[in-house]
Order: sequence, then structure tokens, then C-alpha cells
Amino acid sequence: MEALSFLMQGLSVAMDPMLLLYALIGVTLGTAVGVLPGIGPALTVALLLPVTYGHDPAGSLIMFAGIYYGGMYGGSTTSILLNTPGESASIITALEGNKMARAGRGGPALATAAIGSFIAGLIATLALAFLAPYVVKVALAFGPRDYFALMCLAFITVSSAFGDSARKGLISLFIGLALALVGIDQLTGQARLSFGVPQLLDGIEVTTLAVAMFALGEAFFVAGNRATGDDQVIAVKGSVWMTANDWARSWKAWLRGTVIGFPIGALPAGGAEIGTFLSYAAEKRLTKHPEEFGNGAIEGVAGPEAANNASAAGTLVPLLTLGLPTSATAAIMLAGFQQFGLQPGPLLFVTNPQLVWGLIASLLIANVMLLILNLPLIGLWVRLLTIPKPWLYAGIMVFATLGTIGANPSPVELTMLLIFGLMGYLMRVHGYPIAPVVVGLILGPMAEQQLRRALSIAQGDVFTLVGSPLSATLLAFSVLALVVPMVLRMRGKGQMLSQLAAEED
Amino acid sequence: MSGYNPSQRRPDGAALAMAGLLAALGGVILWDAARLHEIGGYSGVGPGDVARWIGYALLGLAIWSGIAAFRETPVRPPRQDVVSVLWVAGGLAAQILLLKTAGFAIATGLLFAFTARGFGKRNLALTIPVGIIFALVVYLVFAGLLKLTLPAGPLEHLFLGK
Amino acid sequence: MKHTLFAGMMAAAFALPAYANDYMIMAPASPGGGWDQTARTMQEVLQADGISTSVQVQNVPGAGGTVGLAQFVSQNAGKGDQLIVGGFVMVGAILTNASPVSLADVTPIARLTGEYEAIVVPTSSDIQDINGLVEKLKADPGAVSWAGGSAGGTDHIAVGLIAKAAGVDPTKINYIAYSGGGEALAAILGSQVTAGVSGLGEFKAQADAGALRILAVTSEERIPGVDAPTLKESGLDVVLQNWRMVAAAPGISDEQKAAISADIEKMVNSDAWKTALETKGWANTYLAGDAFKAQLDADIASTSAVLKDIGLVK
Repeated sequence: MEALSFLMQGLSVAMDPMLLLYALIGVTLGTAVGVLPGIGPALTVALLLPVTYGHDPAGSLIMFAGIYYGGMYGGSTTSILLNTPGESASIITALEGNKMARAGRGGPALATAAIGSFIAGLIATLALAFLAPYVVKVALAFGPRDYFALMCLAFITVSSAFGDSARKGLISLFIGLALALVGIDQLTGQARLSFGVPQLLDGIEVTTLAVAMFALGEAFFVAGNRATGDDQVIAVKGSVWMTANDWARSWKAWLRGTVIGFPIGALPAGGAEIGTFLSYAAEKRLTKHPEEFGNGAIEGVAGPEAANNASAAGTLVPLLTLGLPTSATAAIMLAGFQQFGLQPGPLLFVTNPQLVWGLIASLLIANVMLLILNLPLIGLWVRLLTIPKPWLYAGIMVFATLGTIGANPSPVELTMLLIFGLMGYLMRVHGYPIAPVVVGLILGPMAEQQLRRALSIAQGDVFTLVGSPLSATLLAFSVLALVVPMVLRMRGKGQMLSQLAAEED
Repeated sequence: MSGYNPSQRRPDGAALAMAGLLAALGGVILWDAARLHEIGGYSGVGPGDVARWIGYALLGLAIWSGIAAFRETPVRPPRQDVVSVLWVAGGLAAQILLLKTAGFAIATGLLFAFTARGFGKRNLALTIPVGIIFALVVYLVFAGLLKLTLPAGPLEHLFLGK
Repeated sequence: MKHTLFAGMMAAAFALPAYANDYMIMAPASPGGGWDQTARTMQEVLQADGISTSVQVQNVPGAGGTVGLAQFVSQNAGKGDQLIVGGFVMVGAILTNASPVSLADVTPIARLTGEYEAIVVPTSSDIQDINGLVEKLKADPGAVSWAGGSAGGTDHIAVGLIAKAAGVDPTKINYIAYSGGGEALAAILGSQVTAGVSGLGEFKAQADAGALRILAVTSEERIPGVDAPTLKESGLDVVLQNWRMVAAAPGISDEQKAAISADIEKMVNSDAWKTALETKGWANTYLAGDAFKAQLDADIASTSAVLKDIGLVK
């Protein structure tokens, strides 16, 4: 139990009042910047990293951990309250969370997100501490064919987020897949659908599309519906806290989200959003309240938010054990570690145990701090919805564009933002779901590249795709996920469900 | 759904328009895929192949959408206040055009004011200064304190002294 | 009254004097990457050592640096205070993207840093040395899958050069492109591919930990601290350095060029620069003037030849 004693040692160091203050400053800053619509965790951490310069290593590290978790958490607030996710991992949160907020249940939605993030962060950080060396072995065993099978599973299960009309859902998905073609094909270096515009060669940024379709599309939509007054939002109805029923429905979703999110975050080519997709799909399948999905089901917030944070901790597995940054946020974290003389890599756990355990202790403390900070603030955040709409949406537009301007101030990028914003608006008006477009843009290139890599390694042999136990199992699950609902539908159960859903329109 | 009489059935214009757009998009993708070199190497699946699958799927969806336009009861979209939407979109366009020359604060201030206009605050003489001051504060926080590179214009130079 | 005041403010703001040795450095990549770090290190050192009073860094990401390069060339002709950071990757990107501007359109100042490529296999592989790999490649090129960075990048070029030197048809190589070093490294460690090619720095820690075996490096001479032969001594005539450079605007006068070159030389010789390189693990491969120009031309020629051989450029 050497590990445990290192952890206790790390925790005791971190309990110093001065360091606790650093932790508090870190989570406050992280949440404050992360909460702005259009500014995701990667940008938050990149912006705030320099703030940690110049303190002693322990203080910097702990403040840094606070910023990281604070930034990850902050995104869910605007996602829920304003339907404007700052990054792709909180898109799914917006689906149910914003419906809850519109019905005056923003408080419970924020609470389940905060507590779910806390629990997932806690479990996943402990898993990182004790399981990292084993998890990373499994992660490395994932080859291109296994990723391809995982993408198939994600595609099929995510279709449950497509809403009532299969036609409209598929159209949205394929628009996303078409957009994913834009840019240089990574495997052969050829440009597709770029029409000689150099700025298109790098493809369409997921964040640009997500911010445009959600934040801008939402602003256009609310503006367009102003006259009809259909869009009344109730800030608070009932308690701002979670009821006993909310708790009963949330806790399993938190645990399931953690179990799904952590390993996917640990995969070198995973990505936090896939965990949220799968968690949402799982909750939708398992819920006892299917009629609430699409109208504000609390499980649909609890699961994906937990998955999101668990995979944030999962990303640290390859980072700490192999020195592999597997996401934009992780890449910036790597820079952060290096700043403290911490060179992540295979030998880190052996050569520098104090620092590793200090970091893990910092993450645990930041996580607790985040909960303490955010639960009391929920009442305040919900008041955001009482800001008069002209000022509220004007502010949203400023921050939504700020994220894009800060990352790449090119007129082409901003024009894309405008075009996709209008596209998101028109799709909303005509009842096409938005999330599948972003899902297509994220999963499409991954599926294509992994398929082609797998076939290339096997020199064109198609049977390689079911050639590993992992890929065969995942593909079998995909087939089940596709066939079972069809059978159920044929037996009439599905029809009843879709009728129920259709009446909501 | 209320107030719509299914006996006077006309094709659903929105679904037809979507069918047209999808067909056009699919066509462009197929055309673009045709000019790619097939250097799929050992995989047997080249860059054009996946594009072609998506192109054909889009054509299929276009046909489906076209059929649905005639057979399904159209869901009438809520009436839209187009002028408001155009104000917000215009604000974004103004920001894009002015960003390089006028700098972040002025361009974003206009976006702020035009958005507020789209949401019913008509008094631009009030909202433009408010927007510019708000954007300038955002600029000073993000560019000044957090070192985010944002396009600077005369106002920004004045406040950051460079 | 208000208007005149405002106009006065505008005029004052526009009429800012530009100091002779102010610099604007363009990093044609996103914040955080190698070129961006190079630009920001230059900024730090130039200012800290008082070589320049004010240095700014501008990021223009996109398409292997060609988006930034095009903007740099079109907006800065004749300006003596504009610099751009670039590297070997740009040479390939200009060719594969059929970029309208090339490195011939800027004024190269100096090569600053560089890194050599390493060829590795997982420790569990039955391939013991570079000759073993080459034999496999000769027997069945398709059966040897190489993981590395994006198509047409330095890693891909290295594989093409190795195949060519070994007498194997470069179009027959089975190169698996990954985005960034991390994903490729994971594929190599997981034995998903036969071998891997990337910058030595990507592999060093894993090799030290005993997870990877370095078969060869692409340097001219053996690298201290790395237990691997060069390709050259293994009988493959391949030397490849993934360098980073700094260039100035097109159409500047000889005096302007001399002034910039002097400033850069001062920077490279400063202690701050040496310390920065050491902490970042970058090798100092400073090369300026005509020697650099000649090296650049040679690299462009060999890269375009190998990209044609691989079939990426027609």
C-alpha cells in the first residue's frame, strides 16, 4: 500500500490553508472563464495557465488542477441554462438540461451536473491513481479495427438522440458527415471539398460548428420567435434543489456515466464527447421515464455530465503513464506539467512519485472545492435567466464570437460561424435536430480514418474488421443495438412510444 | 398542428427545398470525389470512396425527402420575425467586416448593439456606446490580463498604450 | 465637440511611431505547437536581452503553415520588421497543397533549431536492427506498416527516402498516417504497426523505459545518449533534419536584411537563448546566410523528388 501512503502524504501537504486558498482561486477562475459561452475548457486552461507561473510548485500545481476541473465544469452551466455549449463534450448536456431549465428546473439540472461531476471526478481520479498502469495496457491494445467498431457502436446508439423523425435525424447526421469531408484527407494528403480556399484545408473546426449551431442558432431562433412569445422561460419553478425523486433518478446515472466515461477518456484516440454520447444513449435505453427524454429528463443530464468529467480524468491516464496528450486540453496540460519540471512519461510514477501523488491529491481537493463553490452559486446562476433578453443575448453573442476570434481571427472562420449559425437556425425552425450534425462531424472522420488504417494494415483484407475479440464484440453489440429496437417496434411497443413523442410537437 | 386542413393537401415546400439542397450537396460531393486521385494504397478504400458513399446517401435522402413532401402532413413552422433575425445576423456581418480595421471593441460593440436591437432594444444611441464599453472591458480582461491575441484598433491602442 | 475629441484620439492612436527594431513574428500555426513555441521563445529572448524593444507574436494557423505564409507574403512586402517562423514541414505542405506561394517568396534569414527522425519498433518485435527491417521491406513492402505523422509530412518523407535508398519502390510503402505524434506512438507501443517514424524526442522517453527499440536515426553522425546507429552507417544514404527557421518579408533591402540577420545572430548567441533551447530539449542547428540558402534549396529539391516518388505530388 505504498501508493496509499503517498496519496495520504500528498493530501496532508495540500491541506495547508495557503494551498487551499490557491485551490479556491483556481476553481473560481476556472469556473468563471469556463462558464462563458463559446469558451471551452481547452481555451480556459490555455488562458489561465500563465496565472499559475511564479508560485511555488505545490501552489501552482494545485491552482492548475483547480483551473482544469473548474474549466471542465463551467461549460455545463451555460449549456443547461442558455443552450449554448462552449465545446463538444457538453452538447449532450444541453439536450435535456436546457429543456429542464426552460421548465423552471434549471436548479436541479445544475445540481445534478455539479454533484455528478464531483462523484465522477472523485471515482475517476481514484481510478487514475490505482488503475492507471492496467487501464493503459487495455487502451494500447485498441487498434484501428477496434476503434472502427467503437465508432459503429457510437453511431448506432447515438441515433437515439435524433428525435422523433428518422428521416430528419438521418438528414442532420449526413449533413454533418458531408461537412466532415471538407479539408485535407489525413491519410493521403489530398484536399476534399475545399475548392481552392486555403482556410478550408484544415477542415471545419468542431468548436466553430458547435458554437455556431448551438449558441448562434439559438440566438437567431429566440430572436425569430420573439413576436409569437412562444419562448417564455421560467427561471425557477419549485425548489432550486434536487428532490428525493431527482436523487433517486440521478445516482445510478452518475455511476454509469463514470464507468462509460473513464475508459473512453483513457483511449488514445477516444475523446470526451464519445463517452457523453454513449452515456446518453444508455440512459435513454434504461430509463423508466422514456416519455421525458427530449423534454427534460434528469438522467440525460446526470449521465453525460458524469461521463464528461470521468473522461477528463481518463485523459490523464495516457498522459501520466505514457506522456501522450490525447486531447487539446491534455496537450495544454502537458505544457502545464512541463512548467513544473514534471515530464510525463513511462517513468514518471517511478522517478517522481511525490509530484504525481501531489497532483492526484490536488485534483481530489480541487474537485471538493468545486462542489463547495458551485452548489451555493446555483441559485445565482439560475438568475442569469432573469436578465432582460436584449442584454443577455447581446452578451452571449460577444462571448460566442470571442472564443473563435481568440483561437483564429480570420474572416473565413467568422463567416463560417455566421453561415452555420443561420443553418442551425433554419434547421431548428423546420424541426431538424442539431446534435446529429455535430455528432457526424466528430465521428465521421474518426470512423473513416480508422477503417482505412485497419484495412491498410491488413492490406485490404475486410475480415480484419472482426479479427480481434474486441472489435468482434463491439460490432456484435452494434448489431444488437440496431436490431433489438426494430424487433420491439415491429411488436408494437415502439409505435406507442413514437406516438407519445410525436404528440409533444 | 391545429387549423391545418389535410384535405387541401399541397406539397410541403420546406421538405421539397431540403430535397433540392441535399441533391445539390450530394452532387457536389460526387463531382469533387471524381477528381481525386485514388491513392488508397493497401487499404483498397481511397479518399474518394468514403466521399462517394456519403454522396450517394445524400441523394437517397433527397429522394426520401421529396417523397415525404407529398405524402406526409407538413408541420407548419412557427411564424418567424425575419427582421429581428436579420438584425442579429447583420450584427455578426458588421463585426466580421470591421474587425480588422476598427478593432475588437468597436466591431464587437456593434454586434452587441445590433443583437440587442434584434431583441427589441431599439435605441442604438444607447446600445452602441454600451456595447463598445462592454467589448472594451472584455478586450482589456482577455487581451490585457490573459494575453489572448485579439485584433486591436484605435480604441485598444489608446487603452493599452501601444 | 465630442466628434473632434474622438477624431483626435483616433489620429493619436494611428500615429504611433514604429521603432526600428520592433518585430512582429508570425507563427503560422495554432498556439502551443512547435512553431508557436519557437516564435514565443524568440519574443522572450529578443526582449529580455534588449535586442528589440517590442516583439509581438501573431498566430495564423492552417494547412501546414501555408495559410500563414500566403498572408505573410501578400501583406508585408518590403517591411523590415516582419518575421515568420517556419520549418521543414512547410516545404512538403507547399507542394502537397499546391500552395500559390512558396519559400522562394520570402527572405530566409536562418535555421534555428532542428530535430532528427528516429525509426523504432516495439521491444516485443522480432526485428532487431535496421537491416532486419530493410530485409522485410524488400521481401514484401506491403507487410511492413509504418506509423507516423500526417501524409506528406517529415515522417512520411523519411519513409519514402529509406525505401528509395534500399532500392524499394517508394509507391509500394504501407504508410499509416496519424494526427500528431501521440496517436502514432500509441499505435507503435500497442504493436498495431510494424515500425514507427517520428522525431527522436517523441520516442526518447519510451526507449529509455525499455518499451521501444530505436533502430536508427537520420542524423549525419551518432547522437550522444542514443544507442542507435545512423542510417548512413547502416548503408542507407538518408540524412534528414526536421528544422525550424526564421524568414523575413519579401522584397526587403540589403540593409534591412543585414539588420535582421544581425539581431537574430545576437539572439542565437545569447545565454537566454541557449538556456531556453536546453530546457525545451531543442538542438541548436543555427545556420545562416548563403549556407542556409543552399541547404534550403537542396531540401526543397529532394523533398519534391521524394513526394513525386511516393505519388503524393503529380
